Amino acid sequence: MVDSFIVHTLNGLWYGFILFMIASGLTIIFGVLGILNLAHGELYALGAFVVFSVVGYATGFVASPDDPVSAVTFGVVVLVAALLAAAVLLPVGALIETVFVRPIYDREEVYQLLLTYALLLIFIDVMKFGWGATPLDAGTYSGLNEIPTTELAGFGYPSYNILAMLVGLAVFAWLVWFFDRSRTGRIVRATAINRDMATAIGVSTDRTFTLVFAMGAFFAGFGGAMVSIGPQTAFLEMGLDPLVLSFVVIVIGGLGSLKGAFVGALIVGVLSRWAIWQYPPVELAAPFAVMLLILLVKPEGLFGTWGEIE
Amino acid sequence: MSRLSPLEERDGDTVVRVPFTRGLTLTPGQTVLALVGVVLLFGLPFLAGIVGLSWSRLFRGLLFGMAAVGLNLLLRHTELVSFGHAAFFGGGAYAVAVMAAHYEVSEGLLLLLAAVLVGTLLAVVIGYFVAGYVDIYFALLTLAFNQVIFATVFRSAYFNYNDGLGVRVGGDNPTLFGLAWTDLGYDLVLYYTTIVLMLVMLLLMWRLVHSPFGRALDAIGQDRTRARFIGIPVERYVWYSFIISGLYGAFAGGVYALQRLHVQPEPTLYVFVSGEILFMAILGGFTTLVGPLVGGVILVYLLEATRFSFNYYHAPIGIVLLAIVFFMPKGIMGSLPDVGAGLSRRASDPGLLGDDVRSIRTKIHRSVTRATTTVRILIFGVK
Repeated sequence: MVDSFIVHTLNGLWYGFILFMIASGLTIIFGVLGILNLAHGELYALGAFVVFSVVGYATGFVASPDDPVSAVTFGVVVLVAALLAAAVLLPVGALIETVFVRPIYDREEVYQLLLTYALLLIFIDVMKFGWGATPLDAGTYSGLNEIPTTELAGFGYPSYNILAMLVGLAVFAWLVWFFDRSRTGRIVRATAINRDMATAIGVSTDRTFTLVFAMGAFFAGFGGAMVSIGPQTAFLEMGLDPLVLSFVVIVIGGLGSLKGAFVGALIVGVLSRWAIWQYPPVELAAPFAVMLLILLVKPEGLFGTWGEIE
Repeated sequence: MSRLSPLEERDGDTVVRVPFTRGLTLTPGQTVLALVGVVLLFGLPFLAGIVGLSWSRLFRGLLFGMAAVGLNLLLRHTELVSFGHAAFFGGGAYAVAVMAAHYEVSEGLLLLLAAVLVGTLLAVVIGYFVAGYVDIYFALLTLAFNQVIFATVFRSAYFNYNDGLGVRVGGDNPTLFGLAWTDLGYDLVLYYTTIVLMLVMLLLMWRLVHSPFGRALDAIGQDRTRARFIGIPVERYVWYSFIISGLYGAFAGGVYALQRLHVQPEPTLYVFVSGEILFMAILGGFTTLVGPLVGGVILVYLLEATRFSFNYYHAPIGIVLLAIVFFMPKGIMGSLPDVGAGLSRRASDPGLLGDDVRSIRTKIHRSVTRATTTVRILIFGVK
């Protein structure tokens, strides 16, 4: 009972960290650009597909792990491959922002939804063209799970999931550092708070917006890469559910709030895994019920800021 | 001008009075278009086959379009973007299926009544909670309600999970007007009953948006605070319009269930169906009354037809939507007057074509310049 409680909670945390990587991109794009990007789930899926190609290439250089040292080497190579796959999303995000999103900042939000929905549809076919319609499996999961970490704690748990959680935590820490401490991050926040004033003091809002969109795409792709190396396969429709759940996450946390997205993602992740464990029929509905409750009681979310990054 | 003649002079233009609408009028051109539309609707089962289109697919398009007409009441007048209208469409469809599968009701009109009642009830409850919210919050709240309903249906044995429920009682089609029909007869009677009801509902909607209530909704859409100051009970009116728009969706969903005779959660209740209903309204032209209907027919037809004929069936629709966003923001019906006026001006003065070529050239030149500037700024910054 206690064991399965811990396992399900850990699974929930793992899922929550993946959700956070997607939702963080969604929330910073919304916070700075004011656009709810419906194609964000497809960027996540694209990351999952790209990592399949990159990891297949990268792991060709290292043998499958058979002792601790080679296991760690293997793990590092795979992580670097995931980062490379996500880096592919940087130019993709920048291109989408400059070509498609930029002309419609001043239009009504219904057109922004329509545009990003159109991009979503196009992306699905691009991925179908690139990788085919059958689900793909990167196949490194079993190799990564041989890295011995969890036997130390007294019960078995996939070491890959622990790795993914640490990565998620690192992403959160980096984002907080970036927006709080770094010069570029402060410029981004300043632009989010007051575009005109930022322009007046010599900030290029064009560059800032492109950077933010590319960053959002990067983290979505990174989340997708981490999932696709892991226990799950990459398939064409994989972007839809995380997209809808990311809405839930950023609404629970407060639109535009990074800490909110973090807490919201963990709440949604843990809650849905507890639901699967105790009472599966409510698994799908539970996150939305929480979101409804939050919206009706505290519309600005747990860490509510409205339209700027914090 | 006699009371009986439908023609009337108003502000120097000849207009056509429309019966039963207390003074609503159309221009002669619009009247012709409307009559052509009605004739097309009534002839559809026979005409569709001649030009090689699938009638039942067009029928489904009309139904989704009807839901979009309902949604458009919110979108066009109160300027609220609902992302959860599949809740009413699917609610209506599932009301039909549940009544048939669990309570063995076999009369189609009773089933339809149940659909409208259940869907409207859903709209009453959901509308009560969301009426006070605006912008993205309204969209996300309606989405959340939609998704809770979808998840409940998807995961419950009562609704038979993902497989859905059949509408046939004991293997037979439902009766219509108390009579049993052959398959073809059933489809035809259902279609014509629906068309008549649909036309009545369109007239009612038209009447509604030109009533004081409709004007009040416009005021709410423009500025809520100001509307409140002139004494409009904003939340209550939004709630009412939400209920009405839900009713249209529920009616459409009920007929959908009667037409398909089987209801599944994904094609009726999923959040992307909500998105599609919203995009139908924009594609057809959300500034017009019948635009959403046209958009519904076109989008559903594209969605269903491309799925069977192409391997890549998402991208063409995506490209159509992109074109709508960038070149035709008013949608198809909304752009018709502009396009018509432009064409007739060019017909009378061919010299304008030269201007067109020039303006296209300047546009291309300007966008190339803008693109190079953008790239320069992205790479080197503002210097």
